[in-house]
Amino acid sequence: MEGKARILVIDDEEIVLDSCTEILRGEGYQLATASDGMRGLALVKEFRPDVVVVDLKMPGLSGFDVLARLREADPTVVTVVITGYATVSSAVEAMKSGAYDFLPKPFTPEEFRLIIRRAVEKRSLTFEAMALRRERDLLREHFAAIVSHELKAPLAAIQQNIFVLERQLAATATPDQRERLARVKARMADLIQMVDTWRRGVSIDIEAIKSRQVPVSVRIPIDKAVESALVYATRKAVTIDVAVPEPAPRVMGDQGTLTEALVNLLSNAVKFSRDGGRIEVTAEVRDDEVRIAVTDHGVGIAPDELPHLFEAFYTQPGVGGERGSGLGLAVSRRIVEAHGGAITVQSTPGQGSTFVITLPMLGDDGPGGARREAEPLAASAKDGPR
Amino acid sequence: MSERKRLMIIDDDPDFVAGIRAILDGAGYETEVAYNPKDGFAALKARPHDLLLLDIMMGRGAEGVMMARKLRKDPALKDLPILIITGIREQIAFMFPGQAVHPNFVPLNELIEKPVEPDLLLERVKALLQAAETRGQPVS
Repeated sequence: MEGKARILVIDDEEIVLDSCTEILRGEGYQLATASDGMRGLALVKEFRPDVVVVDLKMPGLSGFDVLARLREADPTVVTVVITGYATVSSAVEAMKSGAYDFLPKPFTPEEFRLIIRRAVEKRSLTFEAMALRRERDLLREHFAAIVSHELKAPLAAIQQNIFVLERQLAATATPDQRERLARVKARMADLIQMVDTWRRGVSIDIEAIKSRQVPVSVRIPIDKAVESALVYATRKAVTIDVAVPEPAPRVMGDQGTLTEALVNLLSNAVKFSRDGGRIEVTAEVRDDEVRIAVTDHGVGIAPDELPHLFEAFYTQPGVGGERGSGLGLAVSRRIVEAHGGAITVQSTPGQGSTFVITLPMLGDDGPGGARREAEPLAASAKDGPR
Repeated sequence: MSERKRLMIIDDDPDFVAGIRAILDGAGYETEVAYNPKDGFAALKARPHDLLLLDIMMGRGAEGVMMARKLRKDPALKDLPILIITGIREQIAFMFPGQAVHPNFVPLNELIEKPVEPDLLLERVKALLQAAETRGQPVS
């Protein structure tokens, strides 16, 4: 709030207006008065008050009407209602509809001064909160931009030159040099991916996900996610079996982010699988919901870790000591929730974990639509991700 | 390809440019570089090119996008194929709200993310050049 706080008093009794003016004189406020609701509201536009004091019982437009219209015009204006001593119940009513406080008549000058001081304070706190909220949003955006550009650009430049070096040395490098280069390249790739995941973690835009949703068969993101996880799985000789009913159930979704949510679950499953392990990905329909489950038979998760699993930056080293960004599951959860779904986990230490994504199923509308009842899993492992 | 194709690179990161330039030079392309959109546009106007490799985040923001828009409006350059090489794929999306992640700036364009594997880079460049040729428009 800049300069003097502006107070508007609306009351049909001239004596109340006069005494309010008298009480606040010399308190450092800018004051305006109106003798009825209509005049008061008209004054709001040009006077732009910080605090409006309004009598509830007035001929013509009542105090309640004034409150309602004020809220519509500018909900940040702090309002105080004046009520007759016997009508505290209407004061409660007024506070329910947004008034900040009430002042029963008759009141002492000290009571009035105090309530105005608090209302003005409330007004500046409201502004402060708004400014802080704006700042937080900006910081979030800026952080995403900084991470993306300032961190990713140099990493990309380094990796690009490593690619070139690898090419140029292909014919002449010793096996030892080649291996060293491969290590550098792999770690750099991990780093770049981590930066990408962090950036997505802070900048994931739920509104954008919602606006991009179209009918999509769950088969598509499942296949894409499996394909992307296979590279990593093959390195650990982990097999991924996929079982999705035909025709595959459909959801309203954004294919890209749904795939990302699944990739995160799958890479975790690989990470916590032992070499040569097996992972199952299944989809089924239950009560108008599609349940996509990713099950591994790896090391499992201790019960006391379960509650923290979906928190940002929570991370546990994988079976081979692999580290993650600690954002994968948090990102997955935000994506799934933006789809109106939920993500849950069950785990037995030493035996493995099952992560389930539940999404509202898209109803039957013509060919290619999903059947309503749950059906036995049609495809089995052999059908694979193709 | 009968003669050496001339590629223009506009990117403000000299180290990244060195990385892709070596790959393109090694594959027999003639490359020219501008480190800001202004010089790049001047160079494109000065002599014919077969393909433009364009960065998005340059200078104070998405100057690459402005560059592409400018090219689209230029009768002499609107058919130049563009390979957009960007650090962040979604940056394109938020610059064109409501459009597909890969908006068509110009009739022929393609988008890849930094860093780019040499084989992928060469494959995309070749494909774009071929597509430009089959369109029957002498781009130069």
